[in-house]
Amino acid sequence: MWQVTPAGDQALLVTVGRTIDPSLLGQVLALDKVLADRRPSGLISTVPAYASLLCHYDPEVTDAARLEASILQLEGHVDAAMALGSVVDVPTRYDGPDLPRVALETNLTPAAVIEMHAGREYLVYCVGFAPGFTYCGALPEQLSMPRLASPRLRVSAGSIGIAGRQTGIYAVESPGGWNLIGRTALRLFDPAADPPARFKPGDRLRFIPTS
Amino acid sequence: MIELLDAGRWTTVQDRGRPGLERYGIPPGGAADWFAAAVANRIVGNPPDAALLECTAAGPTLRFDAGAVVALTGGYSAGAPTWQMLRIAGGSSLALGTIAPGLRTYIAVRGGIDVPLVLGSRSFCQRGTFGGGFGRPVQRSDRLAVGRLGDHEPLAAPWPESHRLPARGPWEVRVIPGPQLDAFAEDALQRLTATACRVTPEIDRMGLRLATPGLRLQPREIVTVPMTAGAIQVIPSGGLIVLHVDHQSTGGYPVIATVISADLPLLAQARPGDTVRFRSVEQDEAARAHHRLTGWLELDP
Repeated sequence: MWQVTPAGDQALLVTVGRTIDPSLLGQVLALDKVLADRRPSGLISTVPAYASLLCHYDPEVTDAARLEASILQLEGHVDAAMALGSVVDVPTRYDGPDLPRVALETNLTPAAVIEMHAGREYLVYCVGFAPGFTYCGALPEQLSMPRLASPRLRVSAGSIGIAGRQTGIYAVESPGGWNLIGRTALRLFDPAADPPARFKPGDRLRFIPTS
Repeated sequence: MIELLDAGRWTTVQDRGRPGLERYGIPPGGAADWFAAAVANRIVGNPPDAALLECTAAGPTLRFDAGAVVALTGGYSAGAPTWQMLRIAGGSSLALGTIAPGLRTYIAVRGGIDVPLVLGSRSFCQRGTFGGGFGRPVQRSDRLAVGRLGDHEPLAAPWPESHRLPARGPWEVRVIPGPQLDAFAEDALQRLTATACRVTPEIDRMGLRLATPGLRLQPREIVTVPMTAGAIQVIPSGGLIVLHVDHQSTGGYPVIATVISADLPLLAQARPGDTVRFRSVEQDEAARAHHRLTGWLELDP
């Protein structure tokens, strides 16, 4: 069941589920596309993430009740199958400051951590938090780690971290609480590019170890 | 040109921001007190999207190469009159000094601050370190060009006090419940609105951390969701973070309620130690509050 709740007086949040699941992301992206095609009156912009879609609207043109109705009538009528594009390679130097500790706490050798992290395809679930930050899943269960108890004040752009069942790439320098295992030279955010972020939800990527 | 003889505490170029790019992780940004910024542009006769300076806690000292028409709004400045047009002679300077009451003062210059557009806006984005002319707050010796905007006559009379927002706390801030109200116990919102929250020193354009003495809400965990300005995130270890214009585009803490757009300016002026009380309202009250402010902006005082 989709749930539509107000996010203040100029946005609605559509929640399609409560877990991290490719099929829920599929519904979110499908809804996003249908709304972009149909442009219900007053809808300004949308923000997809995992299992929800935020819909900003102009309260001078529409209201929450009207927009909610036009969204809810789409439930069950969107094609949640994701269009699978090609898999993007992310060249990665596995020299992150937390790699030795991750290895220790997962009872693996650093080489085995690298092999496990690099050995699969990931789905991009969300670009958010900071410009271009790319959230991907699912990380193998065995690599699941809690976030740092005390976040770093400064994580450099290109850093690759893991937290829970997710792996993520910091696109700009920012504070951060993920366990850093590597970094990439790939530029993930460029305000002069169109679009400014390298990845979008629904993209697939894999990490390629480099030395 | 305008030269910064002193940059003040944290002075940035802002306009109405770049909403609509949150899907790339980019905050909407723009003036934190959108109402005061709009009035400043109105007073000098600028269009509403002209860029101006947002000054925080201690304002800058500016030297004007050429004569200028200027207005200061928002927080009150020790060094110059606010909420009215000022004519600055060429070669003279303007020192704002300490800002109080309020926290942020806007300096509009007729013509607008002319720095390059980045992603459709002149606003400085701290998270992305771009925009605002320099990709950083302004510094001493920076020189800012004045643009050619200015499509109306400046307002001769001071902006009426009846058409300003309160400059000091305690702040009553109206909220719409949700979007994650269902992650909380049934009485949580009522307990929140009964609490006198205190503004901590941890405040910036991204958000304000509030202490909630005697209140500990323990929501269930949620999957990361998109965020908006005004979202009141409940932190498991206690307290709240109310997101503001440079907010993270997504977040993992559940949002119990969201500050209405008409009251976001109040939180832009709140200072550490101030008391904030939240009051839950319906959509129609939020819409009326917004209309009240936009109506003020259209008035001819």
